Amino acid sequence: MTDSEIVLGTSAAFSGPSRGLGIELFRGASAYFEHVNRNGGVRGRRIVLRTYDDGYQPDPSVQNTMTLMLEDEVFALFGYVGTPTVTRVLPMLKKFQERQVYLFFPFTGAQPQREPPYGPFAFNLRASYRQETAGLVQNFVGIGRKRIAVFYQADAYGRSGWAGVRRALRPFGERIVGEATYGRGSKFTGIMRDQVEILKASRPDAVICIGAYAACAAFLRDAVDLGLRVPIANVSFVGSENLLNLITQRRDDGERYTELLVNSQVVPSYHDVGIPAVQQYQELMARYDPQPPQELLREDYTPFSHSFVSLEGFLNAKLMVEILDRLGDKPDRSALEGAVFSIRDFDLGIGELVSFGPERRQGLQKVYYTVVDEGRFVPLDSWENRFG
Amino acid sequence: MKIQKLFRKTLFGVFFLFGVIGVSTSVLCIYTVDTHLSEEYESNSKDIAKTIADASVDILLNRNLTALQSLIDQFVEIQGISYIYITSETGEFLAHTFVPGIPEEIRTGDTTSMVTVERSLPGMGDFVEVASPILAGVAGAVHIGSDTGLIALKVQRAIGQQIYLISIIFVVGILAAIWLVGQAARPVDGVLAFAVKLAQEREADGRGNEKLLARNDEAGELARLFLHFSQVMDRDKADGLSQPGGKE
Repeated sequence: MTDSEIVLGTSAAFSGPSRGLGIELFRGASAYFEHVNRNGGVRGRRIVLRTYDDGYQPDPSVQNTMTLMLEDEVFALFGYVGTPTVTRVLPMLKKFQERQVYLFFPFTGAQPQREPPYGPFAFNLRASYRQETAGLVQNFVGIGRKRIAVFYQADAYGRSGWAGVRRALRPFGERIVGEATYGRGSKFTGIMRDQVEILKASRPDAVICIGAYAACAAFLRDAVDLGLRVPIANVSFVGSENLLNLITQRRDDGERYTELLVNSQVVPSYHDVGIPAVQQYQELMARYDPQPPQELLREDYTPFSHSFVSLEGFLNAKLMVEILDRLGDKPDRSALEGAVFSIRDFDLGIGELVSFGPERRQGLQKVYYTVVDEGRFVPLDSWENRFG
Repeated sequence: MKIQKLFRKTLFGVFFLFGVIGVSTSVLCIYTVDTHLSEEYESNSKDIAKTIADASVDILLNRNLTALQSLIDQFVEIQGISYIYITSETGEFLAHTFVPGIPEEIRTGDTTSMVTVERSLPGMGDFVEVASPILAGVAGAVHIGSDTGLIALKVQRAIGQQIYLISIIFVVGILAAIWLVGQAARPVDGVLAFAVKLAQEREADGRGNEKLLARNDEAGELARLFLHFSQVMDRDKADGLSQPGGKE
């Protein structure tokens, strides 16, 4: 950090089958940071995002974090993507805890950065996978769909969601009736027939997917093609627009694949301009048209004008700026935790107030549910009417 | 190089001996490498299973299955380890690395057993599975499957190297044996030619075969003996002792 800059460090997926997540999160955050920088920065300091690509793989993520902490000496880590990556980075934060480098608002709802022993080194904004899966399970069970199966990524992320479903079913006296996995990095061109057959054999009433968009879109495609006609749910990490894009592109019968699709979200609908933060998000995205970091792009990618992921990045950046501002004229890492804990009932502009404290390391708690209507994700009005 | 019939058996003997050596060392090599590798893999797998089991206690007691999965994901990257799964004390699968799902044989098997088993999983291959208890088994168990196909591959590689070396030694040995046998056969050829010459000449005096007669080995002695006999016969012939019907 200098008198003119505050440098934040990011390691995220800018390449590989999950690159859409890293790129959209970055774009959303960049829109707000750009806005702040053009208006004088945070108390005169520009915010600079130093970004590295980890391809959603743990080892590069650890390496990038070493570079960010020890060589770049960033002020804080911000906007990491993924559970398998973040869970491997957390021990490093503990190892170098005397440096007081905190991880802010990772794009993952897993528990390790919300609980001891690593919780004290991270701050989360979004609701957890535990909350997302609990909401999905409660709503499915509520409409009589008690036999829940899980399709998940064979890693820490998948296990986190699997554990959430398992935990949520227990109060209802139910268990996961079937489970199937896929390897991280699977592409949409991959075949998920084996997984569909495994889950079909368990005769589920609904399937909850804990995965990234390419694999989940492939599963959805094969499930519909093989006649698994039950609601298929995804959690927020999936990257809803990327999934929708894959499943409907070059298809006239896209609706057949999306009519039983339901995705949980941790931010409100980006179409709802009645929400102040959404209106600001749309305005700043249009004004600055943030682009992914060109030096990290190795594959083609067409950004979305708006998405749930970029809205989350936008809200992350907005809260980050508020925290940096609360550090005063001489920002110091040692004061960061205190600045975060001073956030009480803070209005981000989405209708839910944000609070942090020593026992509360997650700012938002609300989960939203969306379905596809007329080719876009819209809020789900009634579970009974849609899936009952 | 013409090899005398006398030495052909020797040469075949050399071939045979090399064959016996080659086959026996290969068999021994297969046995040794297979046994040692299998034991080493099993031993390493047990060590890793114990390490995971020890590291899992706190994680399991905190019910942090995400961290547990992250832990086993790191170990499954080790070469030779094909799958890891962790079961609770009741046999429930808490974390695993199977794709696209837990194989039927494992899902329906006895997950509380700590005995090393050999498994043949359809579509996956052959494995040796070891287990280690977590908190003496009251918190569950860690199971690790090692790919025996990899052991077979390493055995094949070791045998290939062995056969390559033996083949080179065999070819060099055979060439050397042929050359040595040829060397040994040459004086015998000389003695044979000398004997034929003696039989054909009236008065043998050994001229032209001085080198052969001067040898101090068995070939030289044989040549000198043939010459002696020939000269004795010539003398007897001259004395009329060897005439037909004559007496000694």
